Amino acid sequence: MNIDSYTIVVTGLGGQGLIRLLEILGNALITEGYKVMTSETHGLSQRGGKVTCFLRFGDRLHAPIPMIGSADMIIALEESTILDVLKHAKPDKSTNLIISTYEKHEIGIEYPSLKDLLEILYENSDNIHFIPAKEIAVKYTGNLKTMNTAILGYILRFLPLNRSIIEESMIQLFSGDALEMNLTALNEGINL
Amino acid sequence: MSYNKIVKGRKGEEKFFLGNEAIVRGALESGIDVYTYYPGTPSSEVGETFMEIYKEVGMKWVESSINEKVAMEVAGSAYARGAAAMVGMKNVGLNVASDPLFALATTCPKNKNSAMVILVADDPQQHSSAVEMDSRYFLKIFKIPALEPSNPQECLEFTKEAFKISRELKLPVILRTVTMISHARSNVVIGEIKTSEIKDNFDLSKEINVALRLYFLKLKEDHIYNRLNRALEMSENSSLNKIENENAKNDFDLGIITSGVSYSYICEALDFLEFKAPILKIGFINPLPERKIVAFLRQFKQIFVIEENDTYIETQILAIAQKNKLNVKIHGKDPFSYSKENTMLLMVGELNPTKVALALTRITNLKPIIDLNLINKKKYKGLARNPILCAGCPHRTTGYALQKAVNKIKSDTGKEVYFFQDIGCYTLLALPPFSFANVKYCMGSSIALAQGVAQTSGSLSIAIIGDGTFFHSGIPALLNGVYNKAPILVLILDNGWIGMTGQQPHPGSDTRYYKEGSSKKAINLEDFLHGTGAYINVIKHNEGYDEKYLTKLRKLIYEKGLDVIENRNLHVIVIKDECIQKTNKRQAPVIRYINTHLCDNCGICFSKFQCPAIDSREDYAYIDPNLCLGCGICEEICPNNAIKMEE
Repeated sequence: MNIDSYTIVVTGLGGQGLIRLLEILGNALITEGYKVMTSETHGLSQRGGKVTCFLRFGDRLHAPIPMIGSADMIIALEESTILDVLKHAKPDKSTNLIISTYEKHEIGIEYPSLKDLLEILYENSDNIHFIPAKEIAVKYTGNLKTMNTAILGYILRFLPLNRSIIEESMIQLFSGDALEMNLTALNEGINL
Repeated sequence: MSYNKIVKGRKGEEKFFLGNEAIVRGALESGIDVYTYYPGTPSSEVGETFMEIYKEVGMKWVESSINEKVAMEVAGSAYARGAAAMVGMKNVGLNVASDPLFALATTCPKNKNSAMVILVADDPQQHSSAVEMDSRYFLKIFKIPALEPSNPQECLEFTKEAFKISRELKLPVILRTVTMISHARSNVVIGEIKTSEIKDNFDLSKEINVALRLYFLKLKEDHIYNRLNRALEMSENSSLNKIENENAKNDFDLGIITSGVSYSYICEALDFLEFKAPILKIGFINPLPERKIVAFLRQFKQIFVIEENDTYIETQILAIAQKNKLNVKIHGKDPFSYSKENTMLLMVGELNPTKVALALTRITNLKPIIDLNLINKKKYKGLARNPILCAGCPHRTTGYALQKAVNKIKSDTGKEVYFFQDIGCYTLLALPPFSFANVKYCMGSSIALAQGVAQTSGSLSIAIIGDGTFFHSGIPALLNGVYNKAPILVLILDNGWIGMTGQQPHPGSDTRYYKEGSSKKAINLEDFLHGTGAYINVIKHNEGYDEKYLTKLRKLIYEKGLDVIENRNLHVIVIKDECIQKTNKRQAPVIRYINTHLCDNCGICFSKFQCPAIDSREDYAYIDPNLCLGCGICEEICPNNAIKMEE
């Protein structure tokens, strides 16, 4: 499939596994012959701090960072973090917002209410998807670390990638129990 | 893992490489013999990858050196002796390594294979740095060639080019990257790995021996007027300095000059604005190709210069335009006004395509299809979250004990207490709930900073430094303190590793727990410290004390702090408590849970101690089993005995 450029913004908290998610997706896209670019945040890993990474693919790509207002998809691995990246949503409200309902509260700071959150989200997109990633991860794998994989399974419906390519990419990076759990979570995400 | 990823693969194959991985591959394709480094974000992955693969690929030597100066010297003399050597560091590392580089830059090794590349990774926006420093002005001081790639593919190609230039000119060559290049990942087409051409016999004659002043001046003359002159010719003719969209003339008589990652931003911005302009992309950033630049400037009435941080290129473009009497308006950051008014971009912070596009609309009056200013005005209130120490981090435990000890010292003596921080994860203790930071400069500075206050006041000065940083550059300051009888309390937070950049080993690390450890000899920190003659105390977590670890640590800090105030002695306390991330790679954490019947939600664990694995539910605290890393300190601090090990 010829694609000029497709931009995914991934946001979440340091330590949530953003880079691993980009790696799985990126490897799969390259296998399919796409030109891919990511930008990652390493280092003082900002555990608990807010982290935003980008993955872009297509024939007409220049920078690892996109223009604001141009993302095709925004993934928030923690619910409230979506609020920090809405500048990337397209003004025509076509951006897919993929939001994990996983919440990480901070002591002494009020967590945004669902009502307020929805109001803001509706201002920015007509394509809002809430994913109960935590519930899926706990129910089917007993391990919260598979939350991202469930989301990965869900977003495949929007991407030019089939399940086997992603599974292949995961086999490169996981083995044993971790692989089994992630394949299970992927499947649940796909079937949502 | 790294071997398969980086080393395997045939010429023409496509890989998904991080910029830093592409640099490793480029060096291997240049027949690299030696890599030395000190870890520092965003440069660390280069050293880590070399460390993993160097024996299998047959390189002569790779080391994670004690600091950047030593790394520069080890690589430098390997270069003199005929090796294809490379040394890697982050921006501020070059400050540390700059002293030997002055002499090294001028020397002229006699061995044919001698080549030296210096990787310097800058960090605009200081994502992971103490300062936002642009290393490029060093190029003018050292007078050495430098290349700057704009994507991972160029990381590979420019590394090869850097080795080639160095081998030919016998000058070290700097390869400058920034975070968004070192940590960008993209398709990279690989070439062929080259075997080393290093010889066993070599010539270490006087061309590298600059002890004599007059001889050095002669060598310097050759450096500037011969070797650098040839570098300039290379730059003039190099395909790394190229003009793109040459025929894309526009109504504004505007041309673009840029380099590195900024090139990708302007391309993105031009596409977005559906606007075309010729671009002079400078990959060979020192010396700048004056003739090529003049020929480019002549075609335009306006030039927009885009570069990260300082005006290294813009200042030179202005000078070149003046020297050649060219009447062309240069837009950019204006190096002379120090005013935000007339500048298109700022010298502070990282650029991105949006900032560049907005600047371009101001220069041209182009109207974008999407109103960028309107989007920029969107301000939603996400949760304020500071980066925090990991759950289970030993520094939090130290911070908690220190806070209690210091409060008691203050109330018992009426003296003020000042904290001097260093570079490491423990810098985060500067944030609430601990807020220990008065001054922090750079690697290794805490111990000397404490002395400046202690020698001039009767208050208590406490230096907080990690073991890695102590080995890096804290040692001379400690010796200075002992010698000058400085009344300070030094806390060495010995977590065993260079924690912040990813738990790399340092000379004190336990050799059993890292791959290359079997060929290293660990330095015993305690023995070393005893040799200085300072008062030394060592406390270890998980030693099975009668009393609680926290209580013991608090008492120790209190007692020694008091002695510093009362008797003006210098005390060092070594707090041995391993980086929990490293511990957990060897053993599964013993997760704690809360007995909700005993918990009264007092908040000590989640509010005063602020473990990120703990938060408050309606009427009791809750430990997230996916976040708990099992340090067990919460069990000690809970006044209700409500926290227990998982059964």
